[in-house]
This record gives sequence, C-alpha cells and structure tokens, in this order.
Amino acid sequence: MNTSNDAAIVFDRVSLAYGGRPIISDLSLDVGRGEIVCIIGPSGCGKTTALRMAGGLVRPLDGTVRVLGEPLTEPRRDVAIVFQDYGKALLPWRTAAANVSLALEAAGTPRSERPERIRTLLAKVGLASHEDKYPTEMSGGMQQRIQIARCLAQDPAVLLMDEPFGALDAMTRQGLQDEMLSIVAETGATVFFVTHDLEEAVYLGDRVIGLLPNPGRIGIDLKVDLPRPRDQLETREMPEFLRLRRTLFDFIEKAEA
Amino acid sequence: MKWSRLLSLLASFLVTALFVLAWKLVADYKLVSPVFLPGPDRAWTSLVRGFTTGDLGVKFLATVERMFWGWLIASLIGVALGAAIGTSPKLRAYLAPMLEFLRPLPASATIPVAIAVLGLSDGMVLAVIAFGALWPVLLATIHGFAAVEPRLYEVGRALRLSRATVIAKIALPSASPDILAGMRLGLTVALILSVVCEMIAGRDGLGNWILLAARSFRAPDLYAGVILLGLLGYFTAIAIGLLEARLLVWRSRAR
Repeated sequence: MNTSNDAAIVFDRVSLAYGGRPIISDLSLDVGRGEIVCIIGPSGCGKTTALRMAGGLVRPLDGTVRVLGEPLTEPRRDVAIVFQDYGKALLPWRTAAANVSLALEAAGTPRSERPERIRTLLAKVGLASHEDKYPTEMSGGMQQRIQIARCLAQDPAVLLMDEPFGALDAMTRQGLQDEMLSIVAETGATVFFVTHDLEEAVYLGDRVIGLLPNPGRIGIDLKVDLPRPRDQLETREMPEFLRLRRTLFDFIEKAEA
Repeated sequence: MKWSRLLSLLASFLVTALFVLAWKLVADYKLVSPVFLPGPDRAWTSLVRGFTTGDLGVKFLATVERMFWGWLIASLIGVALGAAIGTSPKLRAYLAPMLEFLRPLPASATIPVAIAVLGLSDGMVLAVIAFGALWPVLLATIHGFAAVEPRLYEVGRALRLSRATVIAKIALPSASPDILAGMRLGLTVALILSVVCEMIAGRDGLGNWILLAARSFRAPDLYAGVILLGLLGYFTAIAIGLLEARLLVWRSRAR
C-alpha cells in the first residue's frame, strides 16, 4: 500500500482485537489532506473503532496509524473528535460559551483572547445569541453545534466525526450537513466521517469506504464525483448520486447477509 | 408561582404556630408535669435570660465552632480521599469492603476509643466529629467520581488535559451534586456528635448545658438548649441549601 507522507491519516496494516475477538484485521487506508472520507458498514464492522484509533483513543495491536506524517500514540489537539452522543460529550455545568472555552483553555489561549474567539466560533455554527445558555436548555441540534464549535476551537487539521447527526431529525440533519460542508470548505480540514446513512455518506464525501464485518476490513472504496458545493435537492437528484447510492445499498445488503 | 410560594410559606408558619400552641396547652393543663415539660413561654424566657445574663451565647458558639471545624476537616479529607478512590477502579475494589464495614459503625461508639488514645481533650472531640462526619462525605464523593460520564474523560483525553485539570474541570464539577449532598448529611452528623461529645467528655457547649440542666431539674434551660440546637440545625441546612443553589445553577436551569 502506498503510504505517502502527504496523507492526513494513514492506516498501515492495522489490526485490533478485544479479548481474542478480532475487531479490525489488516486495515490499510489513506485519507488525503483536505479529503472528506465517509465510512459506512453494517454494525460490528469496526467503523467507530477505526475512528477512535485515528483519534488516538485506542491503540492498534498491530500496524501503525499515522496522522499528518507522524505515528500516533496518543490523542493530538489538532485532531478533533465529534462524538455522536452530544448530550454526554458536553459539560452540563458549563454554558455554551464555557463549553467552547474548554478547548481554548486546553490549548493555553490567553484569557483575554477567549471571549472574542468563542463569539466567532459560536456565530459560525449558528449559536450567536445562545452563548449563556446551558446545554440542557437547548435542542439536540443546538447541542451538537456546541460540540462542533468546541472542536473547531481546537483549530483542527483533521475532524473525526462519529455519526454526528445520527440522533437528529431529518431537517436539522440536512441543515447541519450543509453547515459542516461550508465550514470544512473554509478551513480545508480533513474529515473522517462515520455514518450509517448511505445517502449522507454520498452527499458529504469525496470518497465513501464500506467496511465488512467480522473482522472489520475494507469491502468497497468508491470515489464520489459530484460537483461542489452540493445542494440538498439538486445533488440528491443527480443520476451519479443515485448510482452511487444504489451501489452502496447493494454492498450493505450483501455485507449484512 | 409567587403566590403559591407565599402560600406554602404561610402554611409552614401556621403548622409551626399550631405545634407551639399544642405545646403550650399541654404544659398549661399540666398533662405532663411542669418539672419535665415547661411551657414554650418559660423555655423562651430561659433562652433570653441565658443569652443576656448567662453564658449560653459562649456555649452556643463553642458548639458551633466544634461542629464547623469537625465538619470542615471531614469534608476536606472526604473529598480528597473520595476523589482518589472514586477515580481509581482498583482502589475502589480494594477498599470498598472495608469502607462498607466501617461506615455503619455508630460514630459515638468510637468515643471511648478516642478518649483512650487522645484523652479528654478538644482534639479528641474534633477527631470524633471529623471521623463521624467523614463517612457521608467520603461515600458520596466516591460515588460522584465513579459516576462521571466516561465520555467526558475521553473529551479530556482528546483535548490532552492533564490529570489535575481533568479532576478540577471535569470530575469535580460533575461530582459536585453528590459531594454537596454528602456534606449536607455530614453537617447533621457533626452537630449530633458535637452534642454527644460534649455530654460524654464534659466539654463546654450546648450538649453539656443540656445535660447539666437536666440533672439539676432546670427544665426551661434544657428546652432552651434544645430549641437552640434545632435552630442551629435549621439555619445550617438553609445555608448549605443556598450554597447548593449557587453552585448548581445549571441543574435548576435544565428543561
């Protein structure tokens, strides 16, 4: 496998097992800088585990994970993780602004610069007037926006997103998909996006990778040649979109069989 | 909202007034001998006299001081120990059985041991109070730290927070509702033990005052002391309630 130093994330023959049960076996995968790669697959295929390895939360038994050219041994601050369960990933005793502040405090941003940056970040995710609210006072979509703002506060080169919109209703989800795409286009971050929603994967990704279960390995690697910026209506009606969706649907059906 | 609060406040005053009235009637009609049960008026007079001409104020302060320091020591040790045990599953597994054995021991049973070791000193009294008030704080803190959402620890790891920062910014605030509940219980225990120690070890304070009043059949003085203890418990509970409301704003604002 070509493991060029140019790639943002490199899985190099990575394996992982829990208690003798293989979770991921011999996974090799390159994610280029600035690329949006979506990972799909039936449950138990190790897609979340792969994301956690890319975040340095889990270390592989075999093989190496490299991020921005360096072998990964622990989490890095320029790799931000957006968890699916926003309700658990936020500090309930901190307001929206203070939750974002946590990332700035971790990075040692001077106290005087924090309010301005927090305001900018919250405005970017559409929470301009909600700085002083507690997470429990906000809807699920708004809570996930706080988490995204906190991740953006890390100035991430890589964004790892674990089914971030999975728990949201359809309208909120589409809104957040578009917001995420425009933020990523602006910052040029690399995105590793795990989802179980095939349409979401095609809509967001430059590439969609399907994993096979037991143990997790790559089953399909599709390039998505859809024009950007993408549009919720037009993109989803394109023949190429429908073709990709069909291919992935067939893949999943076979993988689950 | 405002009206219903006012109404419940009024009702609670009414219930208290009825209680005092019942007490007065029982005393006036001598349903219980006045040697043992003086009326609220006599108890009140005794209370006022104790403060103006007697040394009840000094004794009251002695008890408050004892309770406060014992409770503070217990809280500091309890939170520090609880944090260490609560954040380490290994320590929890090792220590839990012993803690469960020590916890239900009535703290007053340790007084003879404490007297033997530390003598009849104020240090002994403080040690007993701190020991007794330690358990609710310690156990609540352990539970609070053990119940921190694992996801938050991962957020801390992803942000590369140091262990000390994780404890200060994530674990401690997360455990704070449990810790405050433990400290509230600890305060009650501290008050009880202050009084018991004063009675058993003869240290100057409300406990001793009550005991001496009972032995010399000064019932109004006895009741004055009991009323004072009740007030003390009541107002410390209110104080800690205010502290809770201030520190846990985020809980009351939840939808």
